[in-house]
Amino acid sequence: MQKNKIKRFLEIVPGSLSWGIIIGLILLAIFNPVCCAIIIIIFDFYWIVRTVYLTTLLVMAHHKLYRQKDINWLIKCRRLGNQSGLDKLKHLVIFPVYKEGLDILRPSLKSIQECNYPKDKIIVVVAFEERNPLSKENARNLESEFKGYFFRYLSTFHPDGISKEGRTKGANATWAAKRAKELLQSAGIPDEDVIVSCFDADTCVAKEYFGCLSYHFMTSPNPHQASYQPIPVYNNNIWQAPSLARLVEISSSFCQMIESMRLEKFVTFSSHSMSFKTLVDIDYWPVDMVSDDSVIYWKAFLFYQGNYRVVPMYITVSMDVAYSNSFFKTIQMQYKQKRRWAWGVENFPFLVSAFLTENEIPLLKKIRRSLHLLESHVTWAVWAIILVFIGPLPIILGGAFFNQMSIGYNLPKITGLLFNFTFGASLAWIVLSRIILPPRPKEVSWTKNVIMILEWIMVPLIILILGSLPALDAQTHLLFGKYMEFNPTQKSKKMV
Amino acid sequence: MSKEQEIRSVLFYLSVAVFFAGLPVILSFSLGYKFNPHTFKFTKTGIISLKTQPSGADVYLDGKLLDMKTPATINELIPGSYTLKIELRGHYPWIYPVNVEPRKVTRFEKIILFPSRTNIKQLNQVKISCFWLDREGDRIYYFNQDENILYKSDLDGGRFEEIGSIPVEFSPLPKEFKISSDRQKLLLINAHQVCVLSLRFQGSLSYSKPSVIFNFSNKQINDVFWHSDSYHFILVTDKDVEVLEAEENSTPVNLVNLNKRNSGIFYDTDKDTLYFMDFQKGDDGLLYNNVYKLELNNKENLLNDLIRLRKNAEK
Repeated sequence: MQKNKIKRFLEIVPGSLSWGIIIGLILLAIFNPVCCAIIIIIFDFYWIVRTVYLTTLLVMAHHKLYRQKDINWLIKCRRLGNQSGLDKLKHLVIFPVYKEGLDILRPSLKSIQECNYPKDKIIVVVAFEERNPLSKENARNLESEFKGYFFRYLSTFHPDGISKEGRTKGANATWAAKRAKELLQSAGIPDEDVIVSCFDADTCVAKEYFGCLSYHFMTSPNPHQASYQPIPVYNNNIWQAPSLARLVEISSSFCQMIESMRLEKFVTFSSHSMSFKTLVDIDYWPVDMVSDDSVIYWKAFLFYQGNYRVVPMYITVSMDVAYSNSFFKTIQMQYKQKRRWAWGVENFPFLVSAFLTENEIPLLKKIRRSLHLLESHVTWAVWAIILVFIGPLPIILGGAFFNQMSIGYNLPKITGLLFNFTFGASLAWIVLSRIILPPRPKEVSWTKNVIMILEWIMVPLIILILGSLPALDAQTHLLFGKYMEFNPTQKSKKMV
Repeated sequence: MSKEQEIRSVLFYLSVAVFFAGLPVILSFSLGYKFNPHTFKFTKTGIISLKTQPSGADVYLDGKLLDMKTPATINELIPGSYTLKIELRGHYPWIYPVNVEPRKVTRFEKIILFPSRTNIKQLNQVKISCFWLDREGDRIYYFNQDENILYKSDLDGGRFEEIGSIPVEFSPLPKEFKISSDRQKLLLINAHQVCVLSLRFQGSLSYSKPSVIFNFSNKQINDVFWHSDSYHFILVTDKDVEVLEAEENSTPVNLVNLNKRNSGIFYDTDKDTLYFMDFQKGDDGLLYNNVYKLELNNKENLLNDLIRLRKNAEK
């Protein structure tokens, strides 16, 4: 009972903080515009310094990605010698599927089929939801196309309505992993020789993915105490996607690349890999939480008493940009997807309540990780609102007295400087975005190159609509105890 | 620790250092303070903000030329009195004593620098007696009384040309000029006469259609307005308000008789409504000023009334 109350209190914290900051600043703008302006100037300056710092990290990550793009990882693995364990290493790839059709799944499986790694070392599990009436037929079709190519190919059907389960991706993936465990046991393969990769249905791996993963696994100290995170890019349909959706997804890739440089804060996101032994030890993915991709990291972190890390791999996994043929529907889809990502705020009560009963992890580490998690979600929810909406409020609401003060005169100049600076930084982002872009398909006009540069002027609109608002929405839901269900992003390759 | 992580650590601590070192500077600047490195103290300062029309003017503060052009901001000024001078070649200088207050901004953001006389340009190319500006039509009309000739030009004096002559009977000099909304007719008014000139072909006076003169020798014309149909005009005299067709032999229709010889008159061209003041005797025998509204916008009724009145007059 007490535990539930604490968890509930912790659920209230992020949303209250975000709303407190926003409402507090609005009230300050009305009643004490000078104080509000001082806070905004501090925040603006912090954002300028942060933009420089993060853009530098982004450049470094790009450089690393570029440097490693032509490496033949399989050869590198073989050079490690027999003791490395390459021969006995198996890759288990799980694709949790809900409504995604064959047009989405086929390219994902084909990318594994075409990768530079022995296919007899790969086990593919396509995890369908039983409640989808098309799942059996889709499974049959895919089996007929791909079954003979891998060490094992398995279709699983997750039953609906299992006790204590939510309708989440994690529940489906867990069901599939348990079936795979049975299969591995029957084949006499120990868990510690298996690396499991849980991929979104639209994930197409790079040719060297499994070589790269094997290399990092074999060369990492304590390989079972790490998750392996590739760089997610959204290249599958990026040339066909509308500007808005493309920009949002490029920004998401950039965020991941930046995070990959901040190892002490790095948490798994979307498609990633880990030791199957660890997965079994920590009792698989959560079956009742939406943000399974990050919670799995925290579960392992707690299991290994804080000695768990994410190893960045500078190799890409490519996914689909979520979009529709209508502008507003695209915004809606993107908004829902970002809100689902922002629902990762549920990790905060999960983690802190677990920390309260955990005695082995050093207190400082607990505080640091908790505060970072809280800070990142609160910043996500408020930064764009502060910059775009609250920034001009002291001038609008401050009246004649405020506007004749030095700070009233200087505030718009400093805010303008920030926007100019962001514009300058976005020039660097434009250049970097070209590096991760796949070659232009023949059916796409060359003018798209120009559009893809000009579209960056939409950044201020995007940061407000798809930056802060979905995060604030998710935190408000958690604040009022209105828990979100897993709502998969509808994707289709037919929309051009 | 890998090389990247070492670089990142250096970058991180550098960013933190820049933030904490730069923040006091930015905040003190924003709040209007200046750090004095000699005394190690912050001093309150003020700001002068300057915007001029046109921009690019030199700024002098207490006679010293500053390294800036308008629009400009003079920051970190010690509070006190200064003399500000703005100079732009070919324009009159702007000089103003200014008192700079601590942590405040003194704004001079509506300064207009007027061109000096060298910019004055003569527009007329012949001798003229008076002129009128038609702003909507971007025209200037000129009148030469000696020869009774009307000229026109554009607003820069270009395309200056004669457009016709005014009948000699129209005398003395017109005191006002009104152009119809369809820009086809021109009214010239003096104390007792109204002359209607027909303009055709983009404002040229048509010689085929003779001008019409209306004489009101027993009345003093106070004002004349074009009706929006550009066919009627409303004549306000010291005795009455009449409406006339701008054609020869038009019979005036008396709309109102006025008691007051010179009352305030406003005509709303958009709504074809006349507002005027007149006095009336009250029940107590005293005279009271009232404001009246006369709507002339119901064109159909008005025209019917006019036709009916004309027929009565012909009988």
